[in-house]
Amino acid sequence: MNFGKQLKEGLITQNPVLVQVLGMCSTMAITTSIMNGLGMGVSVLIILTASNVVISAIRKIVPDKIRIAMFIVVIAGFVTCVDLLLQAFVPAIAESLGVFIPLIVVNCIILGRAESFSYKNGVGASFVDGICQGLGYTAVLLVMCFIRELLGAGTLAGFRIIPEQFPVGILTLPVGGFLVLGCLIAAMQWALSKSKEGK
Amino acid sequence: MSTANKEKVQMDPAYIIKLTVTLLVTCVIVAACLGGVNAITAEKIEAINKEKTEIAMKAVVADPDNTTFSDKLDLTDEMVAAAGSVTLDSVYEAQVNGQSAGHAIKVVASGSQGKIEMMVGVDAEGTVTGVSIVKNSETSGIGSKVMTNMPTAAGVGVLSQFEGKSAADGTLTVGANVDAISGATVSTRGVTNGVNAALAVAGVLG
Repeated sequence: MNFGKQLKEGLITQNPVLVQVLGMCSTMAITTSIMNGLGMGVSVLIILTASNVVISAIRKIVPDKIRIAMFIVVIAGFVTCVDLLLQAFVPAIAESLGVFIPLIVVNCIILGRAESFSYKNGVGASFVDGICQGLGYTAVLLVMCFIRELLGAGTLAGFRIIPEQFPVGILTLPVGGFLVLGCLIAAMQWALSKSKEGK
Repeated sequence: MSTANKEKVQMDPAYIIKLTVTLLVTCVIVAACLGGVNAITAEKIEAINKEKTEIAMKAVVADPDNTTFSDKLDLTDEMVAAAGSVTLDSVYEAQVNGQSAGHAIKVVASGSQGKIEMMVGVDAEGTVTGVSIVKNSETSGIGSKVMTNMPTAAGVGVLSQFEGKSAADGTLTVGANVDAISGATVSTRGVTNGVNAALAVAGVLG
Protein backbone atom coordinates (compact mmCIF):
# COMPACT_ATOMS: atom_id res chain seq x y z
CA MET A 1 0.00 0.00 0.00
CA ASN A 2 1.38 3.36 -0.98
CA PHE A 3 -0.41 6.24 0.67
CA GLY A 4 1.67 9.00 -0.95
CA LYS A 5 1.12 7.67 -4.46
CA GLN A 6 -2.62 7.21 -3.96
CA LEU A 7 -2.93 10.69 -2.46
CA LYS A 8 -1.13 12.19 -5.46
CA GLU A 9 -3.42 10.26 -7.81
CA GLY A 10 -6.56 11.40 -5.97
CA LEU A 11 -5.56 15.03 -5.77
CA ILE A 12 -3.75 15.47 -9.09
CA THR A 13 -2.98 12.82 -11.70
CA GLN A 14 -6.26 10.86 -11.32
CA ASN A 15 -8.36 13.67 -9.84
CA PRO A 16 -11.99 12.48 -9.99
CA VAL A 17 -13.38 15.76 -11.27
CA LEU A 18 -10.65 17.39 -13.32
CA VAL A 19 -9.03 14.31 -14.90
CA GLN A 20 -11.59 11.50 -14.77
CA VAL A 21 -14.38 14.08 -15.30
CA LEU A 22 -16.80 12.26 -12.99
CA GLY A 23 -19.53 13.68 -10.77
CA MET A 24 -20.16 16.73 -12.97
CA CYS A 25 -23.79 17.25 -12.00
CA SER A 26 -23.19 17.84 -8.32
CA THR A 27 -19.99 19.75 -8.99
CA MET A 28 -21.85 22.19 -11.17
CA ALA A 29 -24.94 22.53 -9.04
CA ILE A 30 -23.76 23.03 -5.50
CA THR A 31 -20.52 24.99 -5.82
CA THR A 32 -22.09 28.36 -5.15
CA SER A 33 -20.91 28.76 -1.56
CA ILE A 34 -18.01 27.45 0.49
CA MET A 35 -20.28 25.89 3.11
CA ASN A 36 -22.17 23.93 0.43
CA GLY A 37 -18.94 22.72 -1.09
CA LEU A 38 -17.56 21.62 2.25
CA GLY A 39 -20.80 19.85 3.21
CA MET A 40 -21.02 18.04 -0.12
CA GLY A 41 -17.30 17.21 -0.22
CA VAL A 42 -17.26 15.72 3.25
CA SER A 43 -20.49 13.76 2.61
CA VAL A 44 -19.03 12.24 -0.55
CA LEU A 45 -15.73 11.55 1.21
CA ILE A 46 -17.48 9.61 3.98
CA ILE A 47 -19.82 7.70 1.66
CA LEU A 48 -17.03 6.88 -0.79
CA THR A 49 -14.70 5.61 1.93
CA ALA A 50 -17.41 3.55 3.64
CA SER A 51 -18.72 1.99 0.44
CA ASN A 52 -15.18 1.32 -0.80
CA VAL A 53 -14.38 -0.57 2.40
CA VAL A 54 -17.60 -2.60 2.39
CA ILE A 55 -17.41 -3.44 -1.30
CA SER A 56 -13.79 -4.46 -1.01
CA ALA A 57 -14.64 -6.63 2.01
CA ILE A 58 -17.45 -8.48 0.23
CA ARG A 59 -15.79 -8.61 -3.21
CA LYS A 60 -14.92 -12.33 -2.92
CA ILE A 61 -18.50 -13.40 -2.18
CA VAL A 62 -20.24 -11.14 -4.71
CA PRO A 63 -21.15 -13.05 -7.87
CA ASP A 64 -19.78 -11.19 -10.87
CA LYS A 65 -23.15 -11.04 -12.66
CA ILE A 66 -24.94 -9.02 -10.00
CA ARG A 67 -22.04 -6.92 -8.74
CA ILE A 68 -23.46 -3.59 -9.98
CA ALA A 69 -26.78 -4.23 -8.24
CA MET A 70 -24.92 -5.10 -5.03
CA PHE A 71 -22.78 -1.95 -5.29
CA ILE A 72 -25.83 0.25 -5.72
CA VAL A 73 -27.61 -1.29 -2.74
CA VAL A 74 -24.57 -0.73 -0.51
CA ILE A 75 -24.03 2.82 -1.79
CA ALA A 76 -27.71 3.74 -1.49
CA GLY A 77 -27.68 2.48 2.10
CA PHE A 78 -24.79 4.73 3.06
CA VAL A 79 -26.23 7.73 1.20
CA THR A 80 -29.56 7.40 2.98
CA CYS A 81 -27.78 7.16 6.35
CA VAL A 82 -25.80 10.32 5.64
CA ASP A 83 -28.92 12.09 4.37
CA LEU A 84 -30.87 11.28 7.54
CA LEU A 85 -27.96 12.21 9.80
CA LEU A 86 -27.46 15.55 8.02
CA GLN A 87 -31.16 16.36 8.31
CA ALA A 88 -31.14 15.55 12.00
CA PHE A 89 -27.88 17.16 13.08
CA VAL A 90 -26.94 19.87 10.55
CA PRO A 91 -30.32 20.93 9.08
CA ALA A 92 -28.85 24.11 7.57
CA ILE A 93 -26.52 22.15 5.29
CA ALA A 94 -29.17 19.54 4.52
CA GLU A 95 -31.47 22.36 3.45
CA SER A 96 -29.02 24.08 1.12
CA LEU A 97 -27.80 20.83 -0.49
CA GLY A 98 -31.36 19.59 -0.87
CA VAL A 99 -31.81 16.84 -3.43
CA PHE A 100 -28.09 16.61 -4.20
CA ILE A 101 -27.44 14.46 -1.13
CA PRO A 102 -29.81 11.66 -2.21
CA LEU A 103 -28.36 12.05 -5.71
CA ILE A 104 -24.94 10.97 -4.43
CA VAL A 105 -26.29 7.43 -5.01
CA VAL A 106 -25.89 7.95 -8.73
CA ASN A 107 -22.71 10.00 -8.46
CA CYS A 108 -20.42 8.16 -10.83
CA ILE A 109 -17.33 8.82 -8.69
CA ILE A 110 -18.58 6.30 -6.14
CA LEU A 111 -19.75 3.60 -8.54
CA GLY A 112 -16.66 4.29 -10.66
CA ARG A 113 -14.28 3.67 -7.76
CA ALA A 114 -16.24 0.59 -6.66
CA GLU A 115 -15.92 -0.93 -10.11
CA SER A 116 -12.39 0.15 -10.95
CA PHE A 117 -10.69 0.00 -7.58
CA SER A 118 -12.31 -1.56 -4.52
CA TYR A 119 -13.67 -4.57 -6.44
CA LYS A 120 -10.08 -5.47 -7.30
CA ASN A 121 -8.12 -4.35 -4.23
CA GLY A 122 -7.87 -5.11 -0.53
CA VAL A 123 -9.77 -3.39 2.28
CA GLY A 124 -6.85 -1.22 3.42
CA ALA A 125 -6.02 0.05 -0.05
CA SER A 126 -9.70 0.70 -0.77
CA PHE A 127 -10.05 2.68 2.45
CA VAL A 128 -7.08 4.86 1.47
CA ASP A 129 -8.44 5.18 -2.07
CA GLY A 130 -11.78 6.39 -0.72
CA ILE A 131 -10.10 9.06 1.38
CA CYS A 132 -7.75 10.19 -1.40
CA GLN A 133 -10.42 10.36 -4.11
CA GLY A 134 -12.79 12.04 -1.67
CA LEU A 135 -10.14 14.63 -0.85
CA GLY A 136 -9.54 15.23 -4.56
CA TYR A 137 -13.27 15.80 -5.11
CA THR A 138 -13.57 18.07 -2.06
CA ALA A 139 -10.52 20.09 -3.10
CA VAL A 140 -11.95 20.83 -6.54
CA LEU A 141 -15.34 21.71 -5.05
CA LEU A 142 -13.71 24.13 -2.65
CA VAL A 143 -11.68 25.82 -5.39
CA MET A 144 -14.83 26.22 -7.50
CA CYS A 145 -16.85 27.46 -4.53
CA PHE A 146 -14.11 29.92 -3.66
CA ILE A 147 -14.08 31.40 -7.16
CA ARG A 148 -17.85 31.39 -7.66
CA GLU A 149 -18.77 32.67 -4.23
CA LEU A 150 -16.08 35.35 -4.06
CA LEU A 151 -16.52 36.70 -7.59
CA GLY A 152 -20.18 35.79 -8.10
CA ALA A 153 -21.74 36.77 -4.79
CA GLY A 154 -18.91 38.81 -3.27
CA THR A 155 -18.86 36.77 -0.07
CA LEU A 156 -16.75 34.01 1.47
CA ALA A 157 -18.48 31.52 3.79
CA GLY A 158 -21.22 34.13 4.13
CA PHE A 159 -18.99 37.09 5.00
CA ARG A 160 -19.08 40.00 2.58
CA ILE A 161 -15.70 40.66 0.95
CA ILE A 162 -16.67 42.63 -2.15
CA PRO A 163 -19.33 45.37 -1.88
CA GLU A 164 -22.75 44.33 -3.14
CA GLN A 165 -22.77 46.24 -6.43
CA PHE A 166 -19.56 44.73 -7.91
CA PRO A 167 -19.86 40.91 -8.01
CA VAL A 168 -20.37 39.16 -11.37
CA GLY A 169 -23.76 37.55 -10.68
CA ILE A 170 -23.52 35.24 -13.70
CA LEU A 171 -20.88 33.15 -11.93
CA THR A 172 -23.45 31.86 -9.44
CA LEU A 173 -25.70 30.69 -12.31
CA PRO A 174 -25.18 27.34 -14.09
CA VAL A 175 -23.43 29.21 -16.92
CA GLY A 176 -20.81 30.40 -14.48
CA GLY A 177 -20.37 26.85 -13.23
CA PHE A 178 -19.54 25.62 -16.73
CA LEU A 179 -17.13 28.51 -17.29
CA VAL A 180 -15.23 27.99 -14.05
CA LEU A 181 -15.11 24.20 -14.42
CA GLY A 182 -13.96 24.49 -18.03
CA CYS A 183 -11.13 26.81 -17.05
CA LEU A 184 -10.08 24.53 -14.19
CA ILE A 185 -10.01 21.42 -16.40
CA ALA A 186 -8.02 23.31 -19.03
CA ALA A 187 -5.52 24.52 -16.42
CA MET A 188 -5.20 20.99 -15.05
CA GLN A 189 -4.59 19.45 -18.48
CA TRP A 190 -2.01 22.13 -19.26
CA ALA A 191 -0.19 21.52 -15.97
CA LEU A 192 -0.25 17.74 -16.47
CA SER A 193 1.11 17.89 -20.01
CA LYS A 194 3.78 20.37 -18.88
CA SER A 195 4.97 18.04 -16.14
CA LYS A 196 5.01 15.14 -18.62
CA GLU A 197 7.22 17.11 -20.99
CA GLY A 198 9.52 17.89 -18.08
CA LYS A 199 10.19 14.19 -17.63
CA MET B 1 -19.03 -15.31 -35.73
CA SER B 2 -18.84 -13.24 -32.65
CA THR B 3 -21.91 -14.93 -31.15
CA ALA B 4 -20.01 -18.18 -31.02
CA ASN B 5 -17.56 -16.66 -28.57
CA LYS B 6 -20.28 -15.01 -26.53
CA GLU B 7 -20.57 -16.39 -23.03
CA LYS B 8 -23.60 -18.64 -22.73
CA VAL B 9 -26.15 -17.44 -20.18
CA GLN B 10 -25.97 -19.81 -17.28
CA MET B 11 -29.43 -21.15 -16.58
CA ASP B 12 -28.42 -23.53 -13.81
CA PRO B 13 -31.16 -23.13 -11.15
CA ALA B 14 -28.69 -23.44 -8.30
CA TYR B 15 -26.71 -20.52 -9.70
CA ILE B 16 -29.79 -18.36 -10.15
CA ILE B 17 -30.92 -19.11 -6.60
CA LYS B 18 -27.47 -18.20 -5.35
CA LEU B 19 -27.69 -14.81 -7.10
CA THR B 20 -31.15 -14.13 -5.74
CA VAL B 21 -30.29 -15.10 -2.19
CA THR B 22 -27.08 -13.05 -2.17
CA LEU B 23 -28.93 -9.96 -3.35
CA LEU B 24 -31.80 -10.57 -0.94
CA VAL B 25 -29.49 -10.97 2.04
CA THR B 26 -27.62 -7.77 1.13
CA CYS B 27 -30.87 -5.84 0.86
CA VAL B 28 -32.08 -7.17 4.20
CA ILE B 29 -28.85 -6.20 5.94
CA VAL B 30 -28.86 -2.70 4.41
CA ALA B 31 -32.54 -2.23 5.26
CA ALA B 32 -31.89 -3.25 8.86
CA CYS B 33 -29.07 -0.68 9.15
CA LEU B 34 -31.28 2.03 7.69
CA GLY B 35 -34.05 1.14 10.12
CA GLY B 36 -31.57 1.68 12.95
CA VAL B 37 -30.44 5.07 11.67
CA ASN B 38 -34.02 6.12 11.03
CA ALA B 39 -34.97 5.22 14.60
CA ILE B 40 -32.25 7.56 15.89
CA THR B 41 -32.97 10.46 13.57
CA ALA B 42 -36.74 10.39 12.93
CA GLU B 43 -37.67 12.20 16.13
CA LYS B 44 -35.05 14.91 15.66
CA ILE B 45 -36.01 15.55 12.03
CA GLU B 46 -39.66 15.80 13.02
CA ALA B 47 -38.83 18.32 15.76
CA ILE B 48 -36.73 20.41 13.36
CA ASN B 49 -39.48 20.48 10.73
CA LYS B 50 -42.05 21.44 13.33
CA GLU B 51 -39.85 24.25 14.60
CA LYS B 52 -39.29 25.52 11.06
CA THR B 53 -43.03 25.58 10.39
CA GLU B 54 -43.59 27.34 13.71
CA ILE B 55 -41.04 30.06 12.85
CA ALA B 56 -42.59 30.54 9.40
CA MET B 57 -46.05 30.83 10.97
CA LYS B 58 -44.92 33.30 13.63
CA ALA B 59 -43.46 35.49 10.88
CA VAL B 60 -46.86 36.00 9.26
CA VAL B 61 -49.17 36.81 12.17
CA ALA B 62 -49.83 40.25 13.61
CA ASP B 63 -48.88 39.43 17.20
CA PRO B 64 -46.25 36.67 17.10
CA ASP B 65 -45.43 36.73 20.84
CA ASN B 66 -48.93 35.90 22.02
CA THR B 67 -50.04 33.64 19.20
CA THR B 68 -50.21 29.88 19.48
CA PHE B 69 -51.04 27.52 16.65
CA SER B 70 -53.37 24.56 16.42
CA ASP B 71 -52.32 21.27 14.88
CA LYS B 72 -52.78 20.92 11.13
CA LEU B 73 -56.45 21.28 10.22
CA ASP B 74 -58.02 18.64 8.01
CA LEU B 75 -58.18 19.89 4.44
CA THR B 76 -61.64 19.73 2.90
CA ASP B 77 -62.30 19.34 -0.82
CA GLU B 78 -63.80 22.81 -0.76
CA MET B 79 -60.56 24.33 0.55
CA VAL B 80 -58.45 22.51 -2.02
CA ALA B 81 -60.82 23.63 -4.79
CA ALA B 82 -60.63 27.24 -3.58
CA ALA B 83 -56.85 27.21 -3.97
CA GLY B 84 -57.32 26.46 -7.66
CA SER B 85 -54.10 25.85 -9.57
CA VAL B 86 -52.02 26.53 -6.45
CA THR B 87 -51.37 23.53 -4.22
CA LEU B 88 -52.75 23.86 -0.71
CA ASP B 89 -50.23 22.26 1.66
CA SER B 90 -51.62 22.80 5.14
CA VAL B 91 -53.72 25.13 7.27
CA TYR B 92 -53.18 25.99 10.92
CA GLU B 93 -55.46 28.02 13.13
CA ALA B 94 -53.83 30.94 14.92
CA GLN B 95 -55.06 31.57 18.44
CA VAL B 96 -54.48 34.54 20.74
CA ASN B 97 -55.48 33.84 24.36
CA GLY B 98 -57.48 30.85 23.19
CA GLN B 99 -59.49 32.96 20.74
CA SER B 100 -59.28 32.27 17.02
CA ALA B 101 -57.28 35.03 15.35
CA GLY B 102 -57.24 33.78 11.79
CA HIS B 103 -55.17 31.18 9.99
CA ALA B 104 -51.67 30.47 8.77
CA ILE B 105 -52.02 28.91 5.34
CA LYS B 106 -49.17 27.14 3.61
CA VAL B 107 -49.43 27.00 -0.16
CA VAL B 108 -47.12 25.89 -2.96
CA ALA B 109 -47.16 28.19 -5.99
CA SER B 110 -45.05 27.93 -9.12
CA GLY B 111 -42.30 30.48 -9.63
CA SER B 112 -39.98 30.95 -12.57
CA GLN B 113 -37.60 28.11 -11.63
CA GLY B 114 -39.74 25.76 -9.61
CA LYS B 115 -42.04 25.56 -6.66
CA ILE B 116 -42.34 28.37 -4.13
CA GLU B 117 -43.48 27.11 -0.73
CA MET B 118 -44.94 30.00 1.17
CA MET B 119 -46.82 30.74 4.38
CA VAL B 120 -49.57 33.33 4.29
CA GLY B 121 -51.13 34.73 7.47
CA VAL B 122 -54.78 35.80 7.21
CA ASP B 123 -56.56 37.30 10.24
CA ALA B 124 -60.14 36.65 11.36
CA GLU B 125 -61.40 39.53 9.15
CA GLY B 126 -59.83 37.97 6.06
CA THR B 127 -56.97 40.47 5.80
CA VAL B 128 -53.43 39.35 4.98
CA THR B 129 -51.15 39.84 8.00
CA GLY B 130 -47.95 38.63 6.42
CA VAL B 131 -46.29 36.52 3.74
CA SER B 132 -43.10 34.54 4.18
CA ILE B 133 -41.27 32.18 1.89
CA VAL B 134 -40.49 28.76 3.30
CA LYS B 135 -38.64 27.22 0.38
CA ASN B 136 -37.85 28.31 -3.18
CA SER B 137 -35.46 27.74 -6.04
CA GLU B 138 -35.74 31.11 -7.78
CA THR B 139 -32.72 32.45 -9.66
CA SER B 140 -30.12 33.79 -7.30
CA GLY B 141 -29.79 37.55 -7.70
CA ILE B 142 -33.01 37.96 -9.73
CA GLY B 143 -36.04 36.01 -8.50
CA SER B 144 -34.35 35.71 -5.12
CA LYS B 145 -34.98 39.43 -4.64
CA VAL B 146 -38.67 38.66 -4.35
CA MET B 147 -37.97 35.84 -1.88
CA THR B 148 -35.96 38.13 0.40
CA ASN B 149 -38.60 40.89 0.34
CA MET B 150 -36.52 43.53 -1.48
CA PRO B 151 -38.33 46.85 -1.97
CA THR B 152 -40.18 47.45 -5.27
CA ALA B 153 -39.99 50.74 -7.20
CA ALA B 154 -42.71 52.04 -4.86
CA GLY B 155 -40.31 51.54 -1.93
CA VAL B 156 -42.34 48.85 -0.12
CA GLY B 157 -40.99 45.32 0.37
CA VAL B 158 -42.36 43.11 -2.37
CA LEU B 159 -43.76 40.64 0.19
CA SER B 160 -44.79 43.36 2.66
CA GLN B 161 -47.06 44.99 0.06
CA PHE B 162 -49.55 42.14 0.52
CA GLU B 163 -50.14 43.05 4.17
CA GLY B 164 -53.56 44.64 4.59
CA LYS B 165 -54.91 43.22 1.32
CA SER B 166 -58.11 41.22 1.54
CA ALA B 167 -60.66 39.54 -0.69
CA ALA B 168 -62.31 42.99 -0.96
CA ASP B 169 -59.37 44.09 -3.16
CA GLY B 170 -60.47 41.58 -5.77
CA THR B 171 -58.04 39.21 -7.42
CA LEU B 172 -54.53 40.49 -6.87
CA THR B 173 -52.71 40.97 -10.17
CA VAL B 174 -49.16 42.04 -10.91
CA GLY B 175 -49.26 45.39 -12.70
CA ALA B 176 -52.73 46.30 -11.42
CA ASN B 177 -52.70 46.21 -7.62
CA VAL B 178 -49.37 44.46 -7.03
CA ASP B 179 -45.94 45.89 -7.86
CA ALA B 180 -43.32 43.50 -9.24
CA ILE B 181 -39.57 43.67 -8.79
CA SER B 182 -38.21 44.63 -12.18
CA GLY B 183 -36.72 41.57 -13.89
CA ALA B 184 -38.53 39.25 -11.52
CA THR B 185 -42.11 39.54 -12.74
CA VAL B 186 -42.63 35.78 -12.97
CA SER B 187 -41.46 35.21 -9.40
CA THR B 188 -43.65 38.05 -8.16
CA ARG B 189 -46.59 36.62 -10.08
CA GLY B 190 -46.00 33.23 -8.45
CA VAL B 191 -46.12 34.76 -4.97
CA THR B 192 -49.23 36.77 -5.93
CA ASN B 193 -51.01 33.59 -7.08
CA GLY B 194 -50.11 32.03 -3.74
CA VAL B 195 -51.62 34.95 -1.81
CA ASN B 196 -54.79 34.88 -3.94
CA ALA B 197 -55.17 31.17 -3.24
CA ALA B 198 -54.62 31.67 0.49
CA LEU B 199 -57.27 34.42 0.56
CA ALA B 200 -59.70 32.13 -1.26
CA VAL B 201 -59.02 29.35 1.24
CA ALA B 202 -59.49 31.78 4.12
CA GLY B 203 -62.82 32.77 2.54
CA VAL B 204 -63.95 29.15 2.69
CA LEU B 205 -62.81 28.87 6.31
CA GLY B 206 -64.84 32.01 7.13
